[in-house]
Amino acid sequence: MLILSGLVWLPSLGALVVALWPGAHARSLALGIAGLNLLLTILVLEHFDPGLAGMQISEQWAWIDALDLTYHLGIDGLSLPLVILNSCLGCIAIYSSDREIPRPRLYYPLLLSLMGFVAGAFLAQNLLLFFLFYELELIPLYLLIAIWGGERRGYAAMKFLIYTAVSGVLVLAAFLGLAWLSGTGSFTYAVLLKHPLPLAAQLVLLSLLLVGFGIKIPLVPFHTWLPDAHVEASTPVSVLLAGVLLKLGTYGLMRFGWGLFGDAWRVVAPGLALWAVVGVLYGSLTAIAQTDMKKMVAYSSIGHMGYILLALAAATPVSLIGTVFQMVSHGLISAQLFLLVGVVYQKTGTRDLGVLRGLLNPERGLPIVGSLMVLGVMASAGIPGMAGFVSEFLVFRGSIAQFPWQTILCILGTGLTSVYFLLLINRAFFGRLPQNWGVLPESTWSERIPALILGLIIVILGVQPGLLVHWSEATLVLPPAALSTLSSFSPWL
Amino acid sequence: MVVMAQFLLHGSWWIPLYGVLGACLALPWSLGLIRRSGPRPAAYINLLATVLAVVHGSIVFRTTWSQEPQYLVFHWLRAADLDLSFVLDISSVSTGAMELVTILSLLAQVFALGYLEKDWGMARFFSLMGFFEGAMSGLALSDSLLLSYALLEILTLSTYLLVGFWYAQPMVVTAARDAFLTKRIGDVLLLMGVISLGTLAGSFNFPDLYEWAETAQLPPIVTALLGLALIAGPTGKCAQVPLHLWLDEAMEGPNPASILRNSVVVACGAYVLIKLQPVLVIFPVASTTLTVLGTLTAVGACLVAMAQIDIKRALAHSTSAYLGLVFIAIGSQWTGFALLLLFAHALAKALLFMSVGAVIYTTNTQTLTEMGGLGRRMPATTIAFLVGSIGLEGVLPLGGFWALHLGLNDFWGSAPWLVGVVLLVNCLTALNLTRVFRLVFLGDPQVKTRRAPEVGWPMAVPMVSLTVLTLTGPLVLSSLNLLPAWQDLGWQMTGLLIGSGLLGCLLGSLVVLTRTWSRPVQWTWKFLQDLLAYDFYVDRLYRLTVVAAVGSLSRLTSWLDRQVLDGVVNLMALVSLGGGESLRYTSSGQSQFYLLTILLGVGLLGLGVLWYW
Repeated sequence: MLILSGLVWLPSLGALVVALWPGAHARSLALGIAGLNLLLTILVLEHFDPGLAGMQISEQWAWIDALDLTYHLGIDGLSLPLVILNSCLGCIAIYSSDREIPRPRLYYPLLLSLMGFVAGAFLAQNLLLFFLFYELELIPLYLLIAIWGGERRGYAAMKFLIYTAVSGVLVLAAFLGLAWLSGTGSFTYAVLLKHPLPLAAQLVLLSLLLVGFGIKIPLVPFHTWLPDAHVEASTPVSVLLAGVLLKLGTYGLMRFGWGLFGDAWRVVAPGLALWAVVGVLYGSLTAIAQTDMKKMVAYSSIGHMGYILLALAAATPVSLIGTVFQMVSHGLISAQLFLLVGVVYQKTGTRDLGVLRGLLNPERGLPIVGSLMVLGVMASAGIPGMAGFVSEFLVFRGSIAQFPWQTILCILGTGLTSVYFLLLINRAFFGRLPQNWGVLPESTWSERIPALILGLIIVILGVQPGLLVHWSEATLVLPPAALSTLSSFSPWL
Repeated sequence: MVVMAQFLLHGSWWIPLYGVLGACLALPWSLGLIRRSGPRPAAYINLLATVLAVVHGSIVFRTTWSQEPQYLVFHWLRAADLDLSFVLDISSVSTGAMELVTILSLLAQVFALGYLEKDWGMARFFSLMGFFEGAMSGLALSDSLLLSYALLEILTLSTYLLVGFWYAQPMVVTAARDAFLTKRIGDVLLLMGVISLGTLAGSFNFPDLYEWAETAQLPPIVTALLGLALIAGPTGKCAQVPLHLWLDEAMEGPNPASILRNSVVVACGAYVLIKLQPVLVIFPVASTTLTVLGTLTAVGACLVAMAQIDIKRALAHSTSAYLGLVFIAIGSQWTGFALLLLFAHALAKALLFMSVGAVIYTTNTQTLTEMGGLGRRMPATTIAFLVGSIGLEGVLPLGGFWALHLGLNDFWGSAPWLVGVVLLVNCLTALNLTRVFRLVFLGDPQVKTRRAPEVGWPMAVPMVSLTVLTLTGPLVLSSLNLLPAWQDLGWQMTGLLIGSGLLGCLLGSLVVLTRTWSRPVQWTWKFLQDLLAYDFYVDRLYRLTVVAAVGSLSRLTSWLDRQVLDGVVNLMALVSLGGGESLRYTSSGQSQFYLLTILLGVGLLGLGVLWYW
């Protein structure tokens, strides 16, 4: 069975097909490939046994033995939700791309390969392989921002590239140090799990990883590339960037930071919790002062990533489940918000909250887009009945015993979230639509459907969170160190 | 028949879902996807759903009356060692509360059919009412703190959307914002309390919490903070000082929603507090704070109500005042009084707001000074207002009297000064209602009231039905043996209560009322009038403190972000670019220069090695 490889190579090789196919069918081809990819994801779901804690459906081939670089893919309860998220948002990004986009035979292949590489990073069980995908994914994303971006796209894309390249270097340094210091020279995750390092070495390597993934997540103060990148990127790229790409950072921190450096993690955890508080409050407060809708959503992402860090710092079973839930729900919610902001920008030509007014107007405005926006921001603000509440609740409930004050301050952040999103709704959607704007072009169904689907998933997960929790519970309840002893008996190694 | 009743009893969790289902089914109309049929089908779907809820609820209520309370348990989420289950408590109190909610919701919706007849957003209104009703009836049944919290939040959201119903008007926009944010402050504090309490007690269900509270030992500082956090949510929901501003502003929303908001929505917060009461006992700070806040609100809101010239606002402040009495009751552990007062207040206030809605609908104004002489033209509305007022005040023989009388009896033994508070509130409420009654229904007709007809059937039918309900409320209560017998009343309390009510009425009918907008000449009176009319300037105080603090903090971080953090990043980029640019000129192509550079480098290296050797 090569289904995991399929998740990586179907979109990446499909990208080649789209690029080389003659005629103007790039969009439908790309959609077809993304659809197939989604079907493949469902197949993975079919084969996945939620009762097992360890890696499943593994695939392993030797590649470069001297380096111990093996092609080793596997999936567990942590990767699975993120892989599904990646496949879904990939479809949505392609579907919501502008039909008249210039150079479609370059654009769609880049989107597809981005999907494939990200899936590879989520599935890689070899540290070098992970690093390879982690870096590969930069190329399409850089080009997507630099070619199809807004006015200052050159600046934003370059900033993004330099930042994430530094992040890659730090991560690589940590991986090399780990392989060297562990004395095994191995980059295989399962092997490294069984060879914990002394505390001092762990602390050094963990701090490298923290900065490296901290840039990707992004954590304050390494975040300044994010608002620029979001503002300049086109809507589908923003959707992928906020929905999936940021999760690479949190995933890396969880899989490698918490997973491999358990002792050091417990030492730095109080500091991380404090860092989380700073991030949450900083992101939320900065978002309040923004007038560009896209920037506001971008800063809100920075705030929401703080909850993940808090939960990771606490590292209790409940908070870890909360981490995964928050990754997924933030992916869905921010994707929906970016989609809707994109529609507003396309119809009105501005994202400025000082200019926009009364978009809910039923005759001349965008009432359905507005209603979906209300749903999205309320989900982000953590109103019960939607996915955002469940994830925040699990994060807070799981962390409060470890870090009571930090958790209380993070809860304050959810209050601030409602402040800035309420300002957004009140300014842009309430009020009177200016007469001289005439009748805004009505939003079409193809613009509404992606946001509508995301909204539905957000509500379903909010009402029935068990649907998601049940897949990752077994993996997250046991710490990875305990897993390593388990895994030596399991047949897939 | 019995089997059927038991079946419906076990299905009582459907009742909150009827409203939600109706709301969801009506979505195509509320979002404007179906326009051809007009918005009415959405209204009928929701009405049908509410009728189902009422019928189902009444059967459940009858069944529970003769039975022990039953508990339905739903496992919502199991995550690691956390088992989140929702317990529903099917008892006579909870189903009675749910029945009250659904009946009032049904009447308000029928009323809305007339009130919003010409409004293009009617379908949206009915959808929101469905959510409103579902959340409230769920809250009545909920026996889990987490579920109650979640429903309170959903109520916050629906209040925001209902207040912001006419979102094109600037006043509505600020009102909706304030309603959401004030309640949200309370909710966020409550969330802190809920999560801490749930972690300490190991469960979110009320029965487990009660059990835990009996043996809990906590450090005093934790007790104080936890207690305050737990009462913060209800304080916002019940519009108590200092989170009371929203209710007054929320009167910008459509009237049929105000009917529910002032009667049962505010009561939801108090209901959660009553549920929490056995836990609150271990937080003495919370009980004291409840009593203090309740007293402040009760007296303050009564005074403020008298200075309002907007008819809805004059009544909304009196809602805060009555909820203040409920807070006092919960703070001093008289939950029986609290429940009875909530019931009496809900019926009477809903009726008052229906009557007011009818007045506004006919006259197209909310300003008291523009009204007058409606008594002869709108008989049903006038009777509704009168019955509602009597039902609210402690004057024989309607609900308000029985509730307040119970309160006087309770307080007399425990805290006599609270008797004074109750009597004062009763007197001032009577004064205010008499004032409003005189301004609206008596006197000479004004420009806007001269040709006012009585409202049509869709509004008159629910209004008259509710009048009858309010009148028969005490009979129903006494048939259920919930009221004391006449001979047990005790003439002292009865006399005091009726006396205070009559005194209020008397004062209210003696006050000189001028319809022209006259300002007092003496500055003390002027100051007093402004102070009360502008609600003690609390909103300005907030703007100067909390709002200003958050605003300047956010501007500060934003500046820090762009100028300092991003500035450093850009500076580094600039330095490295500049460094590269200037180093470029060192490659001159002359080999002597390169040789010199190499020599210098090697020399420096050698020196360094020597130094460290």
